[in-house]
Amino acid sequence: MSEIREDLSAAHARAWLRLAAPGAWLTGAEKVAIAAEARAALDCLACAQRKAALSPEQPIPAHASPSGLDTAWVDLIHRIRTDADRLTPAWFASVVPSILSVERYVETVGVIAEATAVDSFMTAMGMPLWPLPAPLAGELTGVRPEAAKLAGAWVPTVAPEDVSSAGPELVQAMYRNRSAANIHRALSLVPEAVNGFFDLDDAMYLPDAFLRKFEEEPRAITHAQIELLATRVSALNRCLY
Amino acid sequence: MLLRGSGQHAGQTYDDRFAIDAETDSGVSHARLLLDFAEACVARSVELSGRREALRKTLGEAALVDAAATIAIFQAVVKVADATGIPLEDAKAEISAEFRAELGLNAFVAE
Repeated sequence: MSEIREDLSAAHARAWLRLAAPGAWLTGAEKVAIAAEARAALDCLACAQRKAALSPEQPIPAHASPSGLDTAWVDLIHRIRTDADRLTPAWFASVVPSILSVERYVETVGVIAEATAVDSFMTAMGMPLWPLPAPLAGELTGVRPEAAKLAGAWVPTVAPEDVSSAGPELVQAMYRNRSAANIHRALSLVPEAVNGFFDLDDAMYLPDAFLRKFEEEPRAITHAQIELLATRVSALNRCLY
Repeated sequence: MLLRGSGQHAGQTYDDRFAIDAETDSGVSHARLLLDFAEACVARSVELSGRREALRKTLGEAALVDAAATIAIFQAVVKVADATGIPLEDAKAEISAEFRAELGLNAFVAE
């Protein structure tokens, strides 16, 4: 049996609690359904066919879909999970806002990302996937940062310098102890998504404070080994960022 | 870029062509073992089990956990980046221009 760091297991448990709970624009049931679709996409024959096709726009059969989500939403989730490197601004314009509002789209991306991180870890370790949680009922928070604007990304984002100290704590927490790197801004239209994903990131990769602290090695592999893996995984996924 | 920083701190020069050419000797300790594991994870290859055990045997359980965690979170980071269309920061773009051109990484940009 593998011995997982306690802080890492705790971060995964928090991710699963977040997954079950209602978010800003998605219910708990919708979030759990998105995670189920992200998981199913890996063994979906339609996704495999699209991935192998010269163009991702080539028609494919219906997806293997375990949820009751709308088929267009299912396609969006499967595509982000299995063929993200071929997403384009034109594709984005074809799905937002006609399939999802931009807020629901960003939160969907956050859910896919957290589910991908936890599932990929368990698979890498040769351990069974966590059972998906039972969704929790409750009100959506509906927090949309006032300072969100289009600034180079496809989705509106919040610049760290635009976060007001008078704003909601959820918004202020996004950049606390974090750099202004664009990856931190990517999901900032939905503060819960930023705070959730980087809670996981701190435990799985490195907290920001350690990124350039090369004299300290907080993990069992070195900074150089961590960056070797991060770079290679990004390249295998054909991701420039 | 963080790999280069790590190399500068250690007084070493790592060869970052490993990013696109798996046969390149990066100079990072146990790179082959780690890269083999990463590639099997990303591909969900039948070789994953053997590579996991090789890493565990050589570097130990804690290193395996941290390698798996790094690989897994970057499997997610790339989806956040690709699905939101975030650009590379200006400063990073400038610093990495030569490196990106040399390795052909600009082909990864969505158009």
